[in-house]
Amino acid sequence: MTNERIDAILGTEEELVPSSGFLAAVMERVREEAAAPPPIPFPWKRAVPGFVVAAGVMGWGAVEFVRFIGPAMATVKLSQPHMSAALARPLEQAGWVAAALAVSLVSYLVSRRFAG
Amino acid sequence: MSTTAQNPAGTRIDADDADVSRVLGGDIAAFEGIVRRWQGPLLNMAWRYCRDRGRAEELAQEALVRAWRGLSSWRRESSFSTWLFALAANVYRNDLKRFPAVNLPIEDIAEPSRAADQQSRIEEKSRNEVVRRAVLALPRRYREPVVLFYFHEKDVAAAAQTMGLAEGTVKARLSRARELLRRRFPQLEKEHLDMAVASTEKGGLE
Repeated sequence: MTNERIDAILGTEEELVPSSGFLAAVMERVREEAAAPPPIPFPWKRAVPGFVVAAGVMGWGAVEFVRFIGPAMATVKLSQPHMSAALARPLEQAGWVAAALAVSLVSYLVSRRFAG
Repeated sequence: MSTTAQNPAGTRIDADDADVSRVLGGDIAAFEGIVRRWQGPLLNMAWRYCRDRGRAEELAQEALVRAWRGLSSWRRESSFSTWLFALAANVYRNDLKRFPAVNLPIEDIAEPSRAADQQSRIEEKSRNEVVRRAVLALPRRYREPVVLFYFHEKDVAAAAQTMGLAEGTVKARLSRARELLRRRFPQLEKEHLDMAVASTEKGGLE
């Protein structure tokens, strides 16, 4: 099939005419929306303290995590493969979380690529 | 598709611009003029996206309601039609992402068979419709440039503006889309050539 044939087929379409009630239906929806009360604005003043507290807690958690992991990493030596169970568990879990995130990212990118 | 009106003094008045100003000033009824002018183009554009009459009306209606909600975001830098078509394309694209019009890949679309009475107009229309529907089975990145290119009467610049893409990108995607269609429907070209030869021979005999 040549481009001319494709143009001939896709370039000629019969014009659709809107149904008789189309205009009325659109205007009815528009009037309904106009009559509806305005949306309630997000209560930023009340939410901001909550966000600040949440950010503080997360920051504190991050600091504590680093404080805990930092010395633990310093004591880990390559020549000492046998770590204590208490020390190995959080590191192992962090590794799994990182692996899961990486797999999720890869599957997201692959699915997007396939979806075009 | 005229968007302008002529007043008695001969000054061109942009009907859309005037109606938008009135709507933004609180005159909801002025939106009716916009709907009257654009319902046809938006319906036909939606039809090309889904090829389902009922769904096309719903999509066009949704696009017009969204346009009403977002009228203040039209900054008058581009024409009203450019803004409206881009908004509508966004509505249609998002809806079709959730509920695709065709779930088959283009490789699975059957090529129309060559009927004995191939010259009949019904057969011809039916075959053409298969090709039009096959456009909906193209990968998304190639489908929309085809839909909008032919909707805008083969105007690459207009299609690119509606999609918010560079013209070069649209041209490249169109080329790839045509290649996919050509590969999928080789028989149609053969029939086309056969018909051309037959009509030439018939003309020669007469």
